[in-house]
Amino acid sequence: VVFILCTRISKPLVQLTESAKKLSRGDFSGSDDIQIRSQDEVGVLSETFREMSNALEDSYKKLEDEVKERTLDLSQALAQLEMASKHKSQFLANMSHELRTPLNAILGYTELILDKIYGDVPEKIHEVLGRLEKNGRHLLNLINDVLDISKIEAGRITLSLHDYSMQGLVQTTITAVESLAAEKNLELKATIPSNLPSVKGDEQRVAQVFMNLIGNAIKFTEEGEVKVEVAVSDGSFLVSVSDTGPGLSEDDQKRIFEEFHQVDTSSTREKGGTGLGLSIAKRIVQMHGGKIWVESNLGKGSTFWFTLPVRVDKQKEIG
Amino acid sequence: MSRNILIVEDQEDNRIIMKDLLLSADYEVIEAVTGEEGVTAAETHRPDLILMDIQLPGLDGYEATRRIKDNPDLKEIPIIVVTSYALSGDDVKAFEAGCDAYIAKPFSTRELLAKIREFVP
Repeated sequence: VVFILCTRISKPLVQLTESAKKLSRGDFSGSDDIQIRSQDEVGVLSETFREMSNALEDSYKKLEDEVKERTLDLSQALAQLEMASKHKSQFLANMSHELRTPLNAILGYTELILDKIYGDVPEKIHEVLGRLEKNGRHLLNLINDVLDISKIEAGRITLSLHDYSMQGLVQTTITAVESLAAEKNLELKATIPSNLPSVKGDEQRVAQVFMNLIGNAIKFTEEGEVKVEVAVSDGSFLVSVSDTGPGLSEDDQKRIFEEFHQVDTSSTREKGGTGLGLSIAKRIVQMHGGKIWVESNLGKGSTFWFTLPVRVDKQKEIG
Repeated sequence: MSRNILIVEDQEDNRIIMKDLLLSADYEVIEAVTGEEGVTAAETHRPDLILMDIQLPGLDGYEATRRIKDNPDLKEIPIIVVTSYALSGDDVKAFEAGCDAYIAKPFSTRELLAKIREFVP
């Protein structure tokens, strides 16, 4: 009798415990297993448990539905935002293109007058036209850079991936900027290992990165040297461009790759910078699957580093 | 010695700039505004060099270049293609169409003249 009484009490309690365990795991099926036969306290407990379980299940379902709904709303909002951002970049790309056409004409005529194709030009007018041309070129560079960056952001730049020679690329870049360094009496050194593996990437775009970093280094260094070093390890190039220029503060180092961030607006304007070059360089490196960063000490020069996978077979999506 | 240059360009300002530049360097200039006109002018005038814009209404610069280069009587005429700014692949397309050189817009008039002199001194 004692045994039967014990099982009578313990069986539903064991069932209840099992159901409670299931419930704690988020499984609501347990309450259906509870068989209530008795009218005593255990029976009441079981009934209450079942009610509680059902109520919990209801509110859980409601919560799940709400989360689903909100997630859908959010993903729709995100898609709309992405579309809007693409439209903005598309607009900028089109606008830059439209702006360049008349500006080219302005620059073209200015050059012709400066070159005295329409006859003699008085000294004073020649000087003013020279300033007109310089400002026009600055505007053109700005527009070109905006066009570049908006095309990258609109996802409209596709890397043209081919085999090329890294030695050749560095040599061409060095040749292009040699005269700029010579004008300022800066030493320009390049170290490239001779046995480089065969390279695949967008040569023109990579050249743009080199051109930007070396160009900047020369622009902002008044004396000393600009050094370009290329090394290979683990299937990646490690490139550094170091200078003996003024260096960058920690704050500037953090923000130098942001659009339109210029260290000193007045001096950079004088030097013809647009404040977009490094942002473009960063994106080109990222599209190749590489990284770019800077190390610098105020007064002690800067070193810009970037990595570049030796063989890039597929363009990286960048956010 | 005649030094005739055919300019195929739909934008008036660009045409004037190139024409004034070439006239000042003692070249003779023929102008065409569309690709079709360019091909016809090449046939009738047999210029010593052609400057070909790419973005032309109707027949574009690539196709006009191809037609001129397909004509055995005209294929020796050097063609300098003028491409838009840094659209990667334009240079490849231009060479595929058979051009002899290309110059990207925006070009400086000094650069353009130097390029022309490589072919017609």
